[in-house]
Amino acid sequence: MRLLRLLLGIFTIALQRELAHRANLLFAALLTATGVAAGLAALGVVYTQTETLAGWRLPEMVVLLGTFTVVGGLRATFIEPNLTWFAGTVREGRLDDLLLQPAPSIFLASLGACHPWGLAQVALGLATVAFGARGLESLPTVGGVLAWAVLLAAGVAITWASRVLLACFAFWAPYVEPDVLYDAFWQLGRYPVGIYHPAVRALLTAVVPVAFIATIPARALTRGAGPPLLIGGLAAALGAVLAARLVWRVGLRRYTSATS
Amino acid sequence: MRPPRALRLLGGYVRRYFLQWMGGRGFLLTLVANQAVTPLIGLAVWTTALPGQRGIGAYYLALLVVRLLTVSYENHTFSNGIYAGALADGLLRPHPVVLAPLGENLAMRLWHLILGLPLLVGVGLFVAPDFRAADVAAALPALLLAALLRFLFTYLLALSAFWTERAHGLVGFGDTLIFLLGGEAAPVALLPGPLQPLGAALPFRAMLGFPAEVAAGQLDGAGVLAGYGWQIVWIGIFAAASALAWRAGVRRYTAVGG
Repeated sequence: MRLLRLLLGIFTIALQRELAHRANLLFAALLTATGVAAGLAALGVVYTQTETLAGWRLPEMVVLLGTFTVVGGLRATFIEPNLTWFAGTVREGRLDDLLLQPAPSIFLASLGACHPWGLAQVALGLATVAFGARGLESLPTVGGVLAWAVLLAAGVAITWASRVLLACFAFWAPYVEPDVLYDAFWQLGRYPVGIYHPAVRALLTAVVPVAFIATIPARALTRGAGPPLLIGGLAAALGAVLAARLVWRVGLRRYTSATS
Repeated sequence: MRPPRALRLLGGYVRRYFLQWMGGRGFLLTLVANQAVTPLIGLAVWTTALPGQRGIGAYYLALLVVRLLTVSYENHTFSNGIYAGALADGLLRPHPVVLAPLGENLAMRLWHLILGLPLLVGVGLFVAPDFRAADVAAALPALLLAALLRFLFTYLLALSAFWTERAHGLVGFGDTLIFLLGGEAAPVALLPGPLQPLGAALPFRAMLGFPAEVAAGQLDGAGVLAGYGWQIVWIGIFAAASALAWRAGVRRYTAVGG
């Protein structure tokens, strides 16, 4: 609860700061809108040539794209501002400031700052999901929407955990910046994992869980989700969060201050 | 006869940045992966959407090669220099300022090709394309022109750093347009009817999709010539625009920092 209040405080301060630069906000919102529109246009082009893509119809794909945008927006708002170029943060000793403060270091390092303008991306994503859901053959049930929300939360947790795990690399290899690699893998979640080669599909579900970002929550909304999927998603989320905390602790143990 | 001074300076810059980036091989590898992801996703999408269609594999493999060889990061190398005041150093040198970012650009492209070669071989083995030597030979000049055009385009957008703090956003917007209309989201031939002539005429196809289409043998003679024509037209337009933007921008530039 204390952490939640802390997060709320961080968000409020960041919001006040962002609102002082309204031109920046507007530009960011415009860029996000362009990105989403481009994604929808790309989908539209694909569906002029085919009825289904790996078994997904156009409204279902729009739901998937919207889900992807929502998770991407949450990542851009809460996680990315902290963990971008984390290896540089470690190298230059800025991590020491975080370690000295009276809150869990993993919380401050991964959620200590935020860019509220990313919420425009979340809003656009939700609008896209709603737009896609309207075009579905059978409107989603309350259970489907709840399952979508639960699996979305699981996806966000897995995103956070995987981002922290990648950032922890810096404790062992402080001169390697793997951010760009994460962004590359992230893009793979934009389409249903069914379009990839089966070996790649397995990789993207089990090892680098990109499937959880959008494919699985979207499938829950458009086709319903049974208990196994929900339990599996929650278990994966829990496992990922625990793994991230463990690796962070281990990494921190080998960390000695970077500055004198 | 010695090559002109500008060319020798450019060669020097290319050598310098090539060696400098040798120390950042790991990071360059992640950049290569980032550049390769979108064409590979396009390949996966279109081979799933149109399973029987031949030529998609060849097209996207050629697109991957074009992407790696036309990569342009001027918003990072040049715009950041403007924001940090490092441009002052470039302005004091006795040669046109554009030589340094151009040299870095060429060095980066060389590195992308070297580090991306295993990936290209892998994708090539997976896709098993049948390229004809004549098509590939016809595509090479197109590739050179596309590389020049892409640099001019990104450089022009990076020059916006003289006026706005959002140069990165603008270049990102340009990249989105290239993705959508340049043959990455879909080969221009597969764009819906009304968009096709637009897609063929706009510079985005000229800097990415056109060389790939020629190499994959998807254009007839008239199409190839038309494509070349558009490339030359857009190179002229962007070169003139860059020169004008540079002249206007450097006039309002005041250095920051010491």
